[in-house]
Formats: sequence, C-alpha cells, structure tokens
Amino acid sequence: MTAIAPPVATARHMRSPAERRRQGWVRRTPLLPALIFTIIVTQLPFLLTLWYSLESWSLVRPGSQHFVGFANYAEVFQDSQFWTTALNTVVMTVGTVLIAMVIGIGLALLLDRKFIGRGVVRTLLITPFLVMPVASALVWKTVMLDPTYGIVNFLLRPFGIGHFDWLSQFPLGSVMIDMIWQWTPFMMLLVLAGLQSQPKDILEAASTDGARPLAIFRELTLPHLRRYIELGIVLGAIYIVNEFDAIYMMTQGGPGISSANLPFYIYQRAFLGFQVGQAAAMGVVVVIMTIIVATFALRLIFKTFSGTEQAA
Amino acid sequence: MMASADVTTAEPGITTATRPAVTPRKKRGNHTVVGIVAWILGIVFFFPVLWMVLTSFKTEGEAYTNTPHIVFSPTLSQYRTVFASGIWPYVANSAFATVVSTILVLLLATPCAFALSLRPVRKTRDVLFFFISTKMLPVVAAIIPIYIAVRNLHMLDNIFTLVILYTAMNLPIAVWMMRSFFLEVPGELLEAAEMDGARLRRTVTEVILPVVAPGLAATALICCIFAWNEFFFAVTLTATQAATVPVFLVGFISSEGLYFAQLCAAATVATLPVILAGWIAQRQLVRGLSFGAIK
Amino acid sequence: MAEVTYDDATCIYPGAERPAVDNLQLAIGDGEFVVMVGPSGCGKTTALRMLAGLEEIDGGAIRIDGRDMNGVPSRDRDIAMVFQNYALYPSKTVGENMGFALKMQGVPKDERARRVREAAKLLELEPLLDRKPRNLSGGQRQRVAMGRAIVREPKVFCMDEPLSNLDAQLRVQTRTQIAELQRRLRVTTVYVTHDQVEAMTMGDRVAVMRAGQLQQFASPTELYDRPANVFVASFIGSPAMNRFDATAERDGIRIGSVLLRPSDAQLRAAQGHSKLIAGIRPEHLSIGDGPLAVEVALVEDLGSDSYVYGHLTDDRAGHVIVRSGRQHPRPGEVVKVAADSAHLHLFDAASGLRIVE
Repeated sequence: MTAIAPPVATARHMRSPAERRRQGWVRRTPLLPALIFTIIVTQLPFLLTLWYSLESWSLVRPGSQHFVGFANYAEVFQDSQFWTTALNTVVMTVGTVLIAMVIGIGLALLLDRKFIGRGVVRTLLITPFLVMPVASALVWKTVMLDPTYGIVNFLLRPFGIGHFDWLSQFPLGSVMIDMIWQWTPFMMLLVLAGLQSQPKDILEAASTDGARPLAIFRELTLPHLRRYIELGIVLGAIYIVNEFDAIYMMTQGGPGISSANLPFYIYQRAFLGFQVGQAAAMGVVVVIMTIIVATFALRLIFKTFSGTEQAA
Repeated sequence: MMASADVTTAEPGITTATRPAVTPRKKRGNHTVVGIVAWILGIVFFFPVLWMVLTSFKTEGEAYTNTPHIVFSPTLSQYRTVFASGIWPYVANSAFATVVSTILVLLLATPCAFALSLRPVRKTRDVLFFFISTKMLPVVAAIIPIYIAVRNLHMLDNIFTLVILYTAMNLPIAVWMMRSFFLEVPGELLEAAEMDGARLRRTVTEVILPVVAPGLAATALICCIFAWNEFFFAVTLTATQAATVPVFLVGFISSEGLYFAQLCAAATVATLPVILAGWIAQRQLVRGLSFGAIK
Repeated sequence: MAEVTYDDATCIYPGAERPAVDNLQLAIGDGEFVVMVGPSGCGKTTALRMLAGLEEIDGGAIRIDGRDMNGVPSRDRDIAMVFQNYALYPSKTVGENMGFALKMQGVPKDERARRVREAAKLLELEPLLDRKPRNLSGGQRQRVAMGRAIVREPKVFCMDEPLSNLDAQLRVQTRTQIAELQRRLRVTTVYVTHDQVEAMTMGDRVAVMRAGQLQQFASPTELYDRPANVFVASFIGSPAMNRFDATAERDGIRIGSVLLRPSDAQLRAAQGHSKLIAGIRPEHLSIGDGPLAVEVALVEDLGSDSYVYGHLTDDRAGHVIVRSGRQHPRPGEVVKVAADSAHLHLFDAASGLRIVE
C-alpha cells in the first residue's frame, strides 16, 4: 500500500491554529460514530465484568450481591476444573491452528498451480468455512462420527476400525476435527495470498541461478510466506480460543469437562450455575491471558498491513 | 511523400518460403498430477457437505443403515417436516438481524475507514489498534454484564438486541477491510478530481465509491456470513420471539431427537443461504478473508 | 564463454495468431556482445527468455556451445540473467543475493565469500553487502543484479532491458560500465533493449527484430550505412531517416519535381523496380543551394547542432528533417536544401528491401 498524500490542498502557512483545529475535527468526525458505538457496546461490559468479579453474586438469589474483593479469584485459581479447561483450551487452540495451517499450506501450494477446474476446486475448498458452525458440529456429531451409522467409521472399516465411539473416546479430538475442517480454508486463503503476491521474476531468477524447485521453496517462498503464516496463526488463534458453538452442539463439554474450553466453562458457571462473580473473575483471567497473546498479534498485523515489505 | 514500409524478411533477396506451421510444443503450465491431487482433496473436504445434503433427501430408514446408501430414492418428506416445524419466523429473525446489522456496519465503518485512510488523523494507528483489540477479547467475559443490562432494559428476546450486538461484532472487521480497500484508491485519482474542481462529496460519490464498490460488497458479505452464523449471543439473549436460525437448529434437535435425515435437512436449510452467497460472490469472499490481499 | 546459436528458433503462444519469435536464425560467437533491438512486441524479450529456458522452444533449436537446449531446464544451462526489474531476492542481503547461485552449485562458504567480494569490488558494492534490497536505490539494485550475474562466471549473460528503470543520466553512465565490464570479462552476452542508441553503442553486432522476425543482423556501422530494409533504415538512427516515394528514371531518381543522381551502379540496379522508396539521413541533407524546397515548421536546437523539421513545398505530407549547424533558419521560412546523392538509400516500395547494387 502506498501512503496517500491528503488531498486537502490548503497551504500550510495560511492555516491559523484555529483553522487547523477545525480541520482536525472535520477529519475526526467521520470516525466518531463507529468509535463511540464500539466503546459503549464493548468496553462498558468489560468494565462491569471487572466490577462483578469482585462481588459474590448468584443470579438465583436476587439481592445477594456483596463485595468480596479477590475471593473469587482465589477460588478460580484453586478450581481444578478451571485449570483443566484452560489446558483443554490450549490444546484445542494450538492443535487446531497448527494442523489447519499445515493442511492450508499444502492446499495453497496446490491451488497456486494452474490445472483444469481450478476454480471449482477452490469453491469446494472454501465451503467448510461457510457452513454454520452449529450445523457443522451437528453434521460431524451425527452423520460423520456416529459409532454405528456414521460414514467415517464405514470408510475406516477396511482398516479394522469398526464401531469406534469418537465422541466419548476422543471428545476433544472430535471437536478439533470439526474445527480443523472449518478453519483450514481460512489458512489456505491467507497462504494463497502470500504465494500469489510473490513476484514471478524472482522465481525465474532463482531458476536461472541453478535452484531446483525444492530449494526455491525453502530459500525464497517460505521466508516470503512467513508473514502470512504468522498472520493466519495469530488471527486463527484469536477466533479459535473463543470457540463455543462446536462444543455446545457436539459434546456440551463432556464427558465431564474433557472437551470443555474456557469460554464454555465460563458459560456453564454463569448461565447454568448462575454464579456471576466467579464467572466474571474467570472472564477477567481469560481477558488478561488473551491480551498477552494479542499484543504479539497486533504487532504482527501492523507489520503485514502497513506495507513494509517491498520487492526489490 | 511518406511511404509506408511493408517489411518482410531479413536478408535482401531471400523471399519467404512457405514453412510448415509450428504448433506449441506442450500445453503450457497445465499440471496434471497437481490437478488430480487437488481434485481429490477438494472432494474430500467437500464431502461432509455433500453427505449432509444427500442424507437430507433420505428416509430415516435409509439414513440409519450400517452401510451408507449412495443410491436411494429421494424424498422431500424431511424438508416438509422441517418447514412444518415453524422455521420461517426464525429465518425472518436471522434475515432481519443480518441485513440490518450489516447496513448499520457499513454506514458506520465506511466513513470511519475513510477517515483512517484517505484523510489520516493523527491517532490512526491507535484507533485501528483499539478496533481490532475489541475483536480479540473473549466475548464470554462480557456476556454477563450484557445479559444483565439487556434484561434490565427489557430487551431480552428482542431482535434489536442482536442487531446492536452484531453491529459491534462486525464493526472492527469492516473498518479494517474498508480501510484496506480505500488505501487502494490511487492518490492521483483524488488529485485529478481535486484539480477538476470536485468538492468532497462529489469526489466521494463519483471517484472513490466506484473504485471501492467491490470492497464494499466483500465487506458486506463477510459481515452477513458472521451475523447469520452467530450462535452465542442468540442462544443467551433470545428465547422465542427473536430466536434466529442457529437457535432453531439446536431446538429442533432437542425436541425432535437425533433423526439423521431430518437433522440433515434442517442443517441444510440453515446453512444453504450462506453457502450459496459465498459461492456466488466467491471473489468478494476471497478478497474479504484475505483483507484485500488476494484479488 | 560459449557460442550461442538460434537455429530457426520459434516460439508461439497457444491461441496466438502469429509466432512471438518466428524462425529466428542467429549465430553468436564466443565472447560476442549481441544486442537484440526492436519495438515493443517484436519478440526480442521472448527470444532472450527462450535462450534462458524461461520460454518453450516450439520449433527449431537453440544451441549453447553446440549442445541442444531443448528440454534442458534453466538451472542446468549455466546462464546468468539480469532482469528488467532486477528480481533481487527480498529476504536475502546483497551478499546472499550474489552468492545464491554459487550456494546452489555447492560452492563452499569461503570461496563463495571470496568470489562475492571480488565481484562487489568490481561494482563498488562492498559497503552494501549486508543490506537488504529494500534499502537500496534503483541504481544500487541494478548493480547488485549485475553482480549476481558476474559472480557466476557463466557461459552466457542474458540481459533484459537492464537500464530501462534508471534515470537518463544514470543510464548513460551504466551503459559504458556494462560495455567495459563485458569487454573485460569476455563472456558471451545477449542484451535486449528497445533503445536503439544503447544498441548502437554497446553491441558488437545488433539484431533488429520486428513482429517476431529478424530484420537484419549486422554490426552497428553496417546497420547504419547499409540497412537491409526500410524498417531498419527508419528504426536505426535518430532522428529517423527521411523517406520519399520515388521512381527510377533513365537519368536519375525522381522525387516529386526533383531528380537526384546516385551512383551508376545504384541507378542501374534501380531500373526495373516500378516504385521505390528513397531514403536519406538528415545529416546528408544541407541547407543551401539545392533542388529541394522546404518550408520550415520547427527547429530543435541541441546546442552543438540543430535539426530542422519541415515539409516539401510541393507536398505537404512529405516531411523532411535536415541537420543544420548552429546557424539555422526559422519556422515559417522556405529554404533550399541540397542532398548528398552519394548517401542515397534505395528500397523497393513493394517489398521494402534494399536495392543491392
């Protein structure tokens, strides 16, 4: 992206401080509605969450609100289920993101070449991303992974796997399969963008310089893709950490909490257990953890989209 | 008098003899092995969707077989059941929430993105930073106060609650995407318009909008997809009046039980609009998902 | 160093009406600097890329040192290419860019570093070795692209309009540097450009191309003094050669109301051609007592001399360019122009070919 010189042609020396201030406000006005709206709808709730986390409050007993300071947090950190679901969250996020990225890179490499029906294949590969998450979870839970009537078990029968109950044996894994299926197209598209943004003459130059295709990929393409891969991993992680729909539909977090992640566990505490204070405290902890990851994410996003990469 | 020169061959005196026609040696750039592998993977990835649609046309007896049937006599009875169970209000709610929130998003995001790209303000980076940070914070952490606030405002089970929340949910993405599209407007275009005496409003409508129109479409599509598919807010903040299609799907299962063919029909109906929209506007989708990088 | 032969080489893109390169026949000697020049779309870049292995050879053959290159991939041809946009590897430093090909050959690190340093010294790139391409100026990038080619000591240099992205002054400087470098290294070089000045000053021999077909392959002097057809005559030389419709008569060549007398041999050869095109360069016309009457439209004063643009008084479409000295007529004047018949070029109007005496 190129930096666009502001087209306002008022000569600088003719602007008085008042005029400059007015110009500043004229420029700012278009963005205020969106900004104010977002602040009210997203920031206020978080502040309230912070406040609630310091209170003990059960929605079942109205009027039971009272300040308890950090007691909720103490409970949270001593709650073994919290740590289990935290671990589940990490496993689910890291596993889904990495596997989806690896498959996505492979698919992007294929789609980067010309072949008959390339457009159709791309359409087919994008579809999983379009499917409604609850619908996807539903389909995977029943028609795909059902022990008796699911088609996955049918296809695996020649390999000796017959009556395998995916959802009870591998609850986390089953949810991950659904999520990997839905997120691979996203990774694929980002990597594809990276591949297609590489100038072709650089690849030709490497060819005339004696490099075989594998060397070209290793020495030139991969470094170029690094930015896109990082972006995909970070953006994907942000969405996947917050995954809720698939768990709700597929396993309800079970058996027990073996397939619950933090968002689902917090939901259970708040809406099924009505323990607002503790749920809020957990929410705050998750926010802090996310902020740490997000700081890296934001730095990356800015690097990629501020156009610091220039071809020679 | 100028003469027109009709040039033929190189060496003077040598006439062009008729040569045999030369055909290109091989079809350039069409890779067969890559194509085969790609097709196989494409079908594998698409298979669950295909299977879902196929199953939706089966009777329950056909669906519950140890060996899946590929050949069967299709029936529309499952779809009839789905539509008889009162799906239309849910569809109406989803459509309303999706369309209205997307319109709101575009109305808010476009000027905002404009301010952040073509008329940069001093704190551009910070504002962008802020917007995307709102996407990163877990929604679960905010749901409790939102629920309580909505309840106190008597807005539970109200479609406008969803409209507002979906707008806030999609605004950061829209601002980022629209900004990247605005940045693609060549600076010279704006300068030329200014030299031609165009005032701001005309510049916007006649010069900028045509260039960013595909970007607007891409952004709108992405927002529609996320709004239509959204489940968490819908399930926590609605009950009967304002429930959307994802909520219907969950309700359908719990009330009807796990009947494969039926639920595949319900799932197909739920997910079909977005799939079709995504297919038709594939270019826009690809553009949007890659933030304007892939054309 | 090697001989390069284009033997009826042809390249046609699928679906195209005519070949991009049409039966190209060129024999390039070892260590020779050959320039391929022509207007856009003439096939010169395609011909170069065929040599480098970046385009398919659909007909005929291309040989390097006698070895047929059909089916041989670029990486095995031992050719170094300088691209128009330089194609430097963005993730690598200047030093790594230059050493890349050697790395691919398996040359050990120390020798790689040594050879890169030598080439860097030659091109004054030593202080830049650790920089990435995005931190270089256009001229510096161009030198790195050259350095990358030089380090390899290949059989052939291929250069695709390497100067076109430089500003005018830098272009002239770099032109001489490249020519000197090639003379020193004596590597067979095939150089593509659309600029005929580059072609004339740099090449040992120049191949003029048009619409995929070779027009003439000769030394710059030969191209200038004895162009093989009207296209070459007009393309080479700036400003362009004057061209007039003419007919051959017993006593001379008739241009409008004027009769010019070329050599006897020329006149004899011209008989039998019904219509001719007569060409004469601006420097072989002079303002003074002469048979042609020209109305001056515009004068370009270049300092050392000037070019007078006008048209024949008895034919408004007959444009004329005359070279003049520091003294020159003014626009609107009608002047008499003399022609040096010894430097008259005659071409057959139908075929465009030179009439050989």
